[in-house]
Amino acid sequence: MDVLALEAKSVNGADAEKKSSSRPKPKPPKKAKRIVYFEVEIVDLKTKEKLLLLDKVEPTATVLDIKALVHKSYPKWYPARQSLRLDPKAKCLRDEEILQTLPVGTTASFYFRDLGPQLTWGTVFLTECVGPLIIYLMFYFHLPFIYSPKYDFTSSKHWVVHLACICHSFHYIKRILETMFVHRISHGTMPLKNIFKNCGYYWCSAAWMAYYINHPLYTTPYYGQMQVNAGLYVFLFCQIGNFSIHVALRNLKPPGSKTKKIPFPTKNPFTWMFWLVSCPNYTYEVGSWIGFTVMTQCVPVAFFTLVAFIQMTVWAKGKHGSYLKEFRDYPTLRSSILPFIL
Amino acid sequence: MKTTHGDVAARKKKGPGALATAYLVIYNVVMTAGWLVIAVGLVRAYLARGSYHGLYYSIEKPLKFFQTGALLEVLSRVFLTWAVTHSVREVRRRLLFYFHFEIIIGYSFNTSSWLNPLRYTFFFALYPMGVSGELLTIYAALPHVQKTGLYSVTLPNKYNFSFDYHGFLILAMVSYIPLFPQLYFHMIRQRKKVLGHVEDYSKVE
Repeated sequence: MDVLALEAKSVNGADAEKKSSSRPKPKPPKKAKRIVYFEVEIVDLKTKEKLLLLDKVEPTATVLDIKALVHKSYPKWYPARQSLRLDPKAKCLRDEEILQTLPVGTTASFYFRDLGPQLTWGTVFLTECVGPLIIYLMFYFHLPFIYSPKYDFTSSKHWVVHLACICHSFHYIKRILETMFVHRISHGTMPLKNIFKNCGYYWCSAAWMAYYINHPLYTTPYYGQMQVNAGLYVFLFCQIGNFSIHVALRNLKPPGSKTKKIPFPTKNPFTWMFWLVSCPNYTYEVGSWIGFTVMTQCVPVAFFTLVAFIQMTVWAKGKHGSYLKEFRDYPTLRSSILPFIL
Repeated sequence: MKTTHGDVAARKKKGPGALATAYLVIYNVVMTAGWLVIAVGLVRAYLARGSYHGLYYSIEKPLKFFQTGALLEVLSRVFLTWAVTHSVREVRRRLLFYFHFEIIIGYSFNTSSWLNPLRYTFFFALYPMGVSGELLTIYAALPHVQKTGLYSVTLPNKYNFSFDYHGFLILAMVSYIPLFPQLYFHMIRQRKKVLGHVEDYSKVE
């Protein structure tokens, strides 16, 4: 999943949480000498078996502190893998929630669910991007067992094939660097299963595209150099645009800050897309892939572009929706991903 | 006694609305009738001609109509009729016999939930039969597909794309290996659930 789609999810979750738990206002700390300790019971969500009883829990303890206490008794279940909720049907509690602000008495019951092995988002993003980078190069250099043996380690005679390799590699290197240095990933982890699903999609798509573009029988674009150049310029333009948006979003708030802000255009002309769409990073990403399709004139690339467009539209609509919910004065001219259209 | 009946009524889960149920019943009755028509047509054509030749053409229209209507059903059935048998003449005859028996039984079971005990018990034999029928049909079509290059696209071409229908069919056959057990065990679980409830009701009475 994409970084920013994640943030949309967390905002939505937060809103739902606020509405579901009718929290009484936290009382100002009294100077009383006696602190009322809480007693917390951890119950398995499915089997209703009592897993753990924590007595003498500080009222100011957070959900994360409680998860740490559970982890001490059950070393296998590190905090990122735990889901605690007040009611089997309720949403799971966030780590920052404070015990005394929850609608519980001094004896609280938390329902526990094991989310399974988790991976950090950073790990997943990197794996998703390193794969396509390497796989494409394997096809580009005509490594053995891919094409007919007489073509092993040969180089293509078409200029556009070399260009396509440069563009594709540039795209994924850019993504890797952004994941490492630009993106601020607020969410912690994701289930292990997702990495297989996500990587499978990215890696197989890269292999499929790379196979045809680097094939010895590749046919160059119909309109020749003109078409290649047009595709290239669109690709580059959108890559710079995409990067500009990522930087703008990063600069939107200082690190660690939880306040949400509306992104606005900056002095960089590439960010002026914010006048028209909520998620210009997705707009530029689709544009990049359209440019690459035109440049290579390859049906698998077109197909990959279409699928990416559909997925990003779903994310953009989610993000756009959460912006509208969060901010009353959200600019009305903006659509989610395509100016005036979508 | 009144309280126990009330309990049963309370315990009954909310099923599909009246309109949805009516649609489902009518749909299944129509489908059963349709496939019976085709089966009868087949038998009559065979009796009239005295051979299997040209059997397909005699029921082609209703077959196509009802098969397309069955798009609501498992996709493999539609795939088989159009993509395999429509295109591959030699296979048509063999398909019809494996296929229809299973389809008619399947649709007639959908007409009423009262037939559920039968349906969930018969499927033990019918599912494997149906799957082997489908697999045999695809397998029979393979040589022809390879020879004629049916639905296949080769390089070089200006779209820089290729598709090997023969390989695709083999892949489809292989995919039955993980898919069939899942479906089969799902039916077993459904059976336990559905027939389990029937036993509950009879106990209450």
